[in-house]
Amino acid sequence: MEAWQARRKRLEDEMQAHIDLETQENIEAGMAPLEARQAAMKKFGSVSLASDQSREAWGWLWPERLWQDARFALRTFGKNAGFTAVALLSLMLGIGASIALFSVVYGVLIAPYPYARPNQIWAPAVLGPKDAVHGWHWYSQREMAEVEKLPAFAELMATSVRPVLLTSGINPENFYGVFLTGGAFNFLEVKPLIGRTIQPYDIGPGGEPAPVVVLSYGFWQRFFSGDLHVINRSITLDDVPRTIIGVMPPRFGWWTNEAFWLPLRMDPKDPSGLAVIVRLAPGVTQHAAEQQLNQLNIQFAAERPQDYPKGQLRTILLNYMDITVASGDMSASLHLLLAAVGLLLLIACVNVANLQLARTTGRAREIAMRIAIGAGRGRLVRQLLTESVLLSVVGGALGVLFAIGATQLIVALIPPDYVPNEARITINGYVLLFSLVVSMLTGILFGLAPALRSSRPDLVGTLKDGGGAIGGLRGHAVRSWLVVAEISLSVILLAGASLAVRGFVQILHVDPGFQPERVLRIGLTIAPKRYPTWQQRNALDRTLLESVINLPGVQAASLGNAGLPYMGWRSSFSISGQPPMDGRKVAIALISRQYPQTLGIPLKRGREFTDAEIESGIRVALINESAARLWPTGEDPVGRTMQIDDLAQAPDNPQVLAAPGVAAGVTVVGVIGDTRNAGIAEAPAPAVYLPYTLYAPAERDLAVRTAGHPLAIVNAVCLKARDLDKDLAVGKPNTLDESLGEETQQPRFNMALFSSFAALGLVLAAIGIYSVISYNVSQRVQEIGVRMALGAKRGDILKLIMRMVARVVSFGLAVGLLGSILIERLVRFQMFTKTSFGVIPLATIVVVLAGVSLLAAWLPTARAGNLDPVTALRHEA
Amino acid sequence: MTTGERNSQLELLQGTLDLLILQTLAFGPAHGHAIARIIQQRSDEVLQVGHGSLYPALQRLLRRGVIVADDGLSENNRKARFYRLTAKGRKRLSAETSKWERFSNAIARLLSPLPDQNS
Repeated sequence: MEAWQARRKRLEDEMQAHIDLETQENIEAGMAPLEARQAAMKKFGSVSLASDQSREAWGWLWPERLWQDARFALRTFGKNAGFTAVALLSLMLGIGASIALFSVVYGVLIAPYPYARPNQIWAPAVLGPKDAVHGWHWYSQREMAEVEKLPAFAELMATSVRPVLLTSGINPENFYGVFLTGGAFNFLEVKPLIGRTIQPYDIGPGGEPAPVVVLSYGFWQRFFSGDLHVINRSITLDDVPRTIIGVMPPRFGWWTNEAFWLPLRMDPKDPSGLAVIVRLAPGVTQHAAEQQLNQLNIQFAAERPQDYPKGQLRTILLNYMDITVASGDMSASLHLLLAAVGLLLLIACVNVANLQLARTTGRAREIAMRIAIGAGRGRLVRQLLTESVLLSVVGGALGVLFAIGATQLIVALIPPDYVPNEARITINGYVLLFSLVVSMLTGILFGLAPALRSSRPDLVGTLKDGGGAIGGLRGHAVRSWLVVAEISLSVILLAGASLAVRGFVQILHVDPGFQPERVLRIGLTIAPKRYPTWQQRNALDRTLLESVINLPGVQAASLGNAGLPYMGWRSSFSISGQPPMDGRKVAIALISRQYPQTLGIPLKRGREFTDAEIESGIRVALINESAARLWPTGEDPVGRTMQIDDLAQAPDNPQVLAAPGVAAGVTVVGVIGDTRNAGIAEAPAPAVYLPYTLYAPAERDLAVRTAGHPLAIVNAVCLKARDLDKDLAVGKPNTLDESLGEETQQPRFNMALFSSFAALGLVLAAIGIYSVISYNVSQRVQEIGVRMALGAKRGDILKLIMRMVARVVSFGLAVGLLGSILIERLVRFQMFTKTSFGVIPLATIVVVLAGVSLLAAWLPTARAGNLDPVTALRHEA
Repeated sequence: MTTGERNSQLELLQGTLDLLILQTLAFGPAHGHAIARIIQQRSDEVLQVGHGSLYPALQRLLRRGVIVADDGLSENNRKARFYRLTAKGRKRLSAETSKWERFSNAIARLLSPLPDQNS
């Protein structure tokens, strides 16, 4: 660089010496000194042009010009601090929000899994003729062996989850252990952090699994504080000591990220369901594989009709990426938010384009002057492009900083369970590349148009008339369209945000049908082998429940499964004396006597259970009001009987013990109020409540309504449990309020992001609309002067300008509202099922945007109206 | 005036100017001002070349290695750069001169009256 400067200096000195010599000669020829110098300079021509062209001959001009342009751009930015600030702010917010959301989308939707080729993993779904896909099919072990033999599949693995009791910790604790076939880890191809993974040889020839366990990162940290010497130590699971053979990295979260993986016992007689996934053999199409599997499924359905849909079977292979990622609620929200952030970026770009256009128009005279003294068109365009790219690169850099903060905020806001365990959200290389591309494109795209336009001016006209000529009519029309675009984009964004807010508010105001305040919930798990009979388990449950009810501060307590507050178990059913209910199901919950009081659900008709009915497991039922409506209107269901089909079979889980006698019929004794038992946003499902003693599983849920703070009673309850059995596992306590709070997390997330994007959009649009409209008006000051000189009144002028602005603004609002209505249709399918626009939010949006626009028009117009006509005429905008 | 037009003019000018500079330097080293003056005088003030355009041409020739520059003192005792031909420059000059002569002969023949064709 120094050599470069020196070389340049020498060239300039040389040219200066040349002019001096010429001057001297002229003086010797008799000219006056001043005249002599002028003549010499005239003869030489432009020093800077010669210097430029000389350096061009050196072939180094390109970087020099870039540097020069950049420095010039920086100087101009410094002089237009307001413009620069608005443009940078727009770019920072627009690009920053895009990067942040793209980071989330990348982490959750594009690359959520550490597994090998996740898009080549397929899961089978078996459907009846009219069924929609609602999940994958569960095969028994014998069926899985048949499926594995199909030539269409190259690899197969199966997963099964069941509760496993850890007794070697400080307190016994229940975990959901993940049982895998021997080849599973090789299928997923993830290396362990330390030790080794489960291998095919860990399952013996007779199907008996080796007593080994692979820990998740979370379990390892929690129980071993990340001790590297954990391999070959053992933990006791379900009373069996198991050797730790490996620990998985934090991102490996196959079905759990807090428990462990165990080899699955291979037993062809085991009827419990396995989640099977496959990879196709090379060259086999998805369709061919589906055909082969369908043949097999038809055979299976003949042997096990109760677990297969009725009618002609269809088999579909679902892509693992699709079912686990794209079908989630999170994906719907993310797509919508991506659209929202796209709108935001568009508004930011329109802002920058607008500002650039307005600024280049304002610089028309400068540009015309530079062309007049010999600047080439290419050179000028390059200069203007340098300015806009520089602007957008700086804006992009600021955007990256903004995105780092915003991403952390979004990650903190993301509700648990809405992203796969394995997803990691960080700003990575791809995302940075994306941001670089976005910012460069923004700069080039939105810098090029004004640059091209302003380099083609009518020189004479511009220099003579002042600023007006370039902007002219065309510039004016373009800016009007940009205003229309900006207004309509922000209307759409704001309308989307108002939908999200309404969705959230609606969920907050839903009456759940029960009183969630002061209700504690604790999961309890027994070691199944210590209580081998139905009677023993129920005796323990009864004693425990009684001692909890007698604790001071307890108002009511209930023991059972499901219904706290949501229900998962669904069974087909029929009502005596009614035609069969094809395909309809009722939700089932197992409850103890005080269930309605504990949750605060009113009894509507009939009576509650008696202690005697509960104790002996008599087939009586309470139903909710939705279930009562299954009977014809006018008929009282109390005293009637219904058949719950699931009660007619022995439970397929060997750990669940059923009451003696198998019969489907239950007698309805009472009707209780409806609750939101299928999720707070869903309509109540018809539900049947049965005495908990009908089934004795290893886990129970205890619900306690307290007089004081519910968590204050946790220790007392735990002590009672330990008194009865020191190995009784007590799960993590939570309150009903907390479970309801989880329900509102997703809408809260949507609302928070949507409304912050909309707020950003509104700010950007307001700034943009204001700057453009006020600029447009100030461009017409000269015209206003003419009109006033010809006798127009101030009011006339105001009317003229306001009419022009009102036309643009109302057109923009109309386009925006139309767009919002179209988008609302789309959004309605995606997430806020029961929400629609209210008149009030829409009206507010219209008023705010119209207000901003009119204010932007009013201020410069009022100023123009106050002008002395002579000043206005002379005004050079 | 479009960029294209300007470029073709420049090219014509450049070729001619380069040749004139080389020709001038054939008689010995000279500094920029001297070159400009000599060219002006020798072309009987017909070639109206802005003195400024000399310098880009000199830089071009330097880069091609047909001339080199040495520091020295000018007539009025100021520091000046003296340009002189290299061996490559001399070869180039004779090649260019003969090309130029062929060219100007052809032009002269085209422009002169018809009977001369037989001479």
